[in-house]
Amino acid sequence: MTEIALAWKMARRELRGGLKGFRIFFLCLLLGTAAIAAVESLSDAFLNGLRDSGQVLLGGDVAVNLVHRPATPQERAFFGRYGKVAETTSMRAMAYALRDGRETERELVELKSVDDHWPLFGRPIFSPAASVADAIHCEDDGICGAAAEQTLLDRLHVKRGDLVKVGDATFRIIAALDKEPDRISAGFSLGPHLLISSHGLPATGLVQPGSLIDYSYRIAFRPGVTIAGFKADAARAFPDAGWQIHDRNDAAPGIRRFVEQVSMFLTLVGLTVLGVGGVGASEAVAAFLDRKRYDIAILKSLGADGPLVFLIFFLQVMAIAVGALILGASLGATAPFLLAHFYGSVLPLPPELGIYPGPLLLAAGFGLLSAIAFSVPPLGRAREIPSASLLRETVAPARARPRMGYIVAASLSGLGIAGLMLGLAPSPLYAGEFLGGAIILLVLLRLVAEGLTRALRKLPRPRSPLARLAVGDLTRPGAATQGVITALGLGLTLLATVILIDRTMGQEVDDSLPSRAPSFFFVDIQPDEVQAFDHTIQSFKTAEDYKRTPMIRGRITSLNGVPSAQAKVASEVKWALSGDRGITYASTPPKGTVITNGKWWPATYDGPTLISLDQEVAKGTGLKIGDPMTLNVLGREIDGRIANLRKVDFSTGGQNFVLVLSPGLIDKAPHSFLATVKISGPDENRMYMAVTDKFPNISTVRVKDAIAQVDTLLQQLAQGIRIASLVTILAGLLVLAGTIAAGARTRLYDATVLKVVGATRFQIALVYVLEYGLLGLATGIIALFAGTLAARVIAGQILEAPFVFDARAILWTVLGGGAATLLFGLLGAIAALNARPANRLRNA
Amino acid sequence: MQMQPSRFPDNLPAISLNKVALTLSSAAGPVNILHDISLTVSAGETVALTGPSGSGKSSLLMVAAGLERPSGGRVTVAGTDITGMGEDAAARFRRGRVGIVFQSFHLIPTMTALENVAVPLELMGVKNAWDRAALELKAVGLGERGEHYPGQLSGGEQQRVALARAMAPRPQILFADEPTGNLDSANGEAIADLLFALNAERNATLFLVTHEESLARRCARVVRLESGHIVADERVRPMIPA
Repeated sequence: MTEIALAWKMARRELRGGLKGFRIFFLCLLLGTAAIAAVESLSDAFLNGLRDSGQVLLGGDVAVNLVHRPATPQERAFFGRYGKVAETTSMRAMAYALRDGRETERELVELKSVDDHWPLFGRPIFSPAASVADAIHCEDDGICGAAAEQTLLDRLHVKRGDLVKVGDATFRIIAALDKEPDRISAGFSLGPHLLISSHGLPATGLVQPGSLIDYSYRIAFRPGVTIAGFKADAARAFPDAGWQIHDRNDAAPGIRRFVEQVSMFLTLVGLTVLGVGGVGASEAVAAFLDRKRYDIAILKSLGADGPLVFLIFFLQVMAIAVGALILGASLGATAPFLLAHFYGSVLPLPPELGIYPGPLLLAAGFGLLSAIAFSVPPLGRAREIPSASLLRETVAPARARPRMGYIVAASLSGLGIAGLMLGLAPSPLYAGEFLGGAIILLVLLRLVAEGLTRALRKLPRPRSPLARLAVGDLTRPGAATQGVITALGLGLTLLATVILIDRTMGQEVDDSLPSRAPSFFFVDIQPDEVQAFDHTIQSFKTAEDYKRTPMIRGRITSLNGVPSAQAKVASEVKWALSGDRGITYASTPPKGTVITNGKWWPATYDGPTLISLDQEVAKGTGLKIGDPMTLNVLGREIDGRIANLRKVDFSTGGQNFVLVLSPGLIDKAPHSFLATVKISGPDENRMYMAVTDKFPNISTVRVKDAIAQVDTLLQQLAQGIRIASLVTILAGLLVLAGTIAAGARTRLYDATVLKVVGATRFQIALVYVLEYGLLGLATGIIALFAGTLAARVIAGQILEAPFVFDARAILWTVLGGGAATLLFGLLGAIAALNARPANRLRNA
Repeated sequence: MQMQPSRFPDNLPAISLNKVALTLSSAAGPVNILHDISLTVSAGETVALTGPSGSGKSSLLMVAAGLERPSGGRVTVAGTDITGMGEDAAARFRRGRVGIVFQSFHLIPTMTALENVAVPLELMGVKNAWDRAALELKAVGLGERGEHYPGQLSGGEQQRVALARAMAPRPQILFADEPTGNLDSANGEAIADLLFALNAERNATLFLVTHEESLARRCARVVRLESGHIVADERVRPMIPA
């Protein structure tokens, strides 16, 4: 204890000098901690926002969703017992602008009808301001009001008071729909929203058996009703109703998962910043201790032992680290406030403003552990400095390996970081792969830097004195080579990886997908329209791959006799069991079917239902040929057996069914048809007009519009990730600045001596260009290879997309990184270039 | 790019300082180092500049060698007015004309002894720089130590390397700032012998800053500086004609 008190006393004495020598250490830790604190605070703010606004975002305390069918009177009565109920429906439909009684512009919309109780929570915002009742009120002439998102008004070129037609009904636009309180829980929409009253829906004629309509019943609970109680009662009273029940605590699970995943990735990027910064911190501590060699030797000659020396400097480093952590966490804590202040109006989800101690402690914990992991090794080496250093100074200061205890302490801290991250990550596997990759890369970069230094030392000495000096600068003890290549290499590799993955996904969405995917999806084709529809499509000679398939929606209720809810299934196929899926039937294998196991039923088969199942779903659920399966289609149970397994390629963007049934029973259920077709050139638009003119009830989805929407989302996400990666580059540049600062004294000295013997500033600058050019080049080349490798692995293993090597993008990235290194190096060397020799010689 | 300085006419002085003043700024305000110094050193002359610590000896050497720009007056070296020269011009001017030896040796630690000696020759564009550097090292008795780094040499050896580096381009003027100040008496003596021997052999002008009276007495002329003023200028032996 007295030892610690003594060490602290001496450390405090040293700290009186301020941050001198520790600026880079401080900044590196600050940046990493602030980044993690900001990301985690934002994540918590959004997740809390989701939770706290759960009722508004969901539209009730619970929402019971049904596909295809409205609730039965018994079901409605059941809902009503728990509180006030609001009913909404939503479906895809075509909306037409009506001018002089003629249908002109048209657009796919998400048609949402609401009853008189909607919304139970929150308020929609219309412009001009209006109540819900006024905005969608039905007049005596049968024309109902509607509110449309501004995008729809713009695309249809209609304004307030104009008429639009949906199905067989005409609506008058009363207002623009600026904000829908429960919009976010509806998820991804293919078209802009059009809000109408449920009184106006029947007149559209779009509500047909088998139509793809989502019914939602939101309930505002009476006092005393609990979510768990409601769910338990529902499971008891209607065990087979096929309800999907969402509650206010998880109003938008998709958004929640998205926020969690993105924040996990960004936290990993933040950890990379800490890793890069840690390299800088380690270099900074080493440089600081090198300057303190004499002090340490004096302390030792006066009787301080190794542990005391370690403690004195460890306490100093930790005191500075704690300062950086507190400041970093404080800066990170402001992120939700800043985001709300600057982007509040455009955020789809309001962050719950506040200070979140959890994320701040987490960030500080990561920061502290990395400060220990990176500073203990150089501190451990410093305690080995002999007091004999007072007597002689060697060119290469002895850099002994620290004792085992210090190596263990540093390694434990490193493991602590990994453990903390893996324990908290929503996807520990990905987090583990990221961390593993980063560690391998860090080791690789260190080895490359070491190899480069050795190779340069081994090379014949350049004849030119300037080249010789540059090589000497790169290979001398304490040279920038190791730190800069490791730190900047890590940041630049991350950026290169992100850019290549961005390009790979971009290629997939922009080029590959459109070339494979059909041009149109036609949804809700009614049986009586089939002939006319086929004729219309086939009249286009350029149409290709026309496929029309019956489509029924149903869900899997039991597998091998085990109810779906209790079946053990792999997480990657859980989606197949949650809620309704599209089901089709066929007597012969649809074109392009690849059967991997079992046999297709005979074309004339009319026996008990046989099932053709996606092989991946079979693998994830453990189902085999001959196993029984029960489906619920429109409330009716259908038992079947698995006859064969198929390979389904979802990346084609076309019609893909997990379940194909043998005809005989299923085809008697009311159903509609789904069609896809490929067509290009001017005929694409002609087909759009022809189909939408003749079949106003059929929803026509232009695939390229949907892809463009996805593309926009991806672009925004990629932009965010690129910015995050740039923070790592910033950390790398800080490390570079640190090594430049650490080498400034030597550099100044060399420049002075060169000037004395007749070198001009231009010639000395050439030394730096050579030196930093070589560093930038080495770092860039490593980033090029490592980034390409990482992106290739991610594309192949995680995205399962063909890897795209965009040479131009990557070269620009790498050249940019190299140029930044060079520029920074030269900026840092300006002082040495401009110093008057006399000043330096006088102070020598 | 071979650059050989032309020899200046014998009738011109090697160094001419005319009313030179030097004022340096410091946190406590400007410090006047040199006041109104006028001094002429003929070609081939050996001049010792002596005086107590802080008298401005080294500063005067810096000004005369073009390492420091004077605040006032005029400095002419080897027939060239270097008073207003920029840093790069001054550096180019020094090539081959001026050699400097410092008390602290000032070798480049990452270069071997041979490489250190070769640097000024290489900067001049001398083709056989390394061969000449090797000869210079041999001349100072370190022919076998060419591959050693400064850190592997003793103080006396480092100063020999510095002397070889200064003499390698055959300069017209050799500036030496306390060349024996960091050495013991035996090593100091040896360096001084070498300095005067090489200087005599190469017929260069020697401008030597020292506070050692015995070393100063080996020069033909002793100039004494006190508080930035020349207080004595004494010829102690006849000048050997250039």
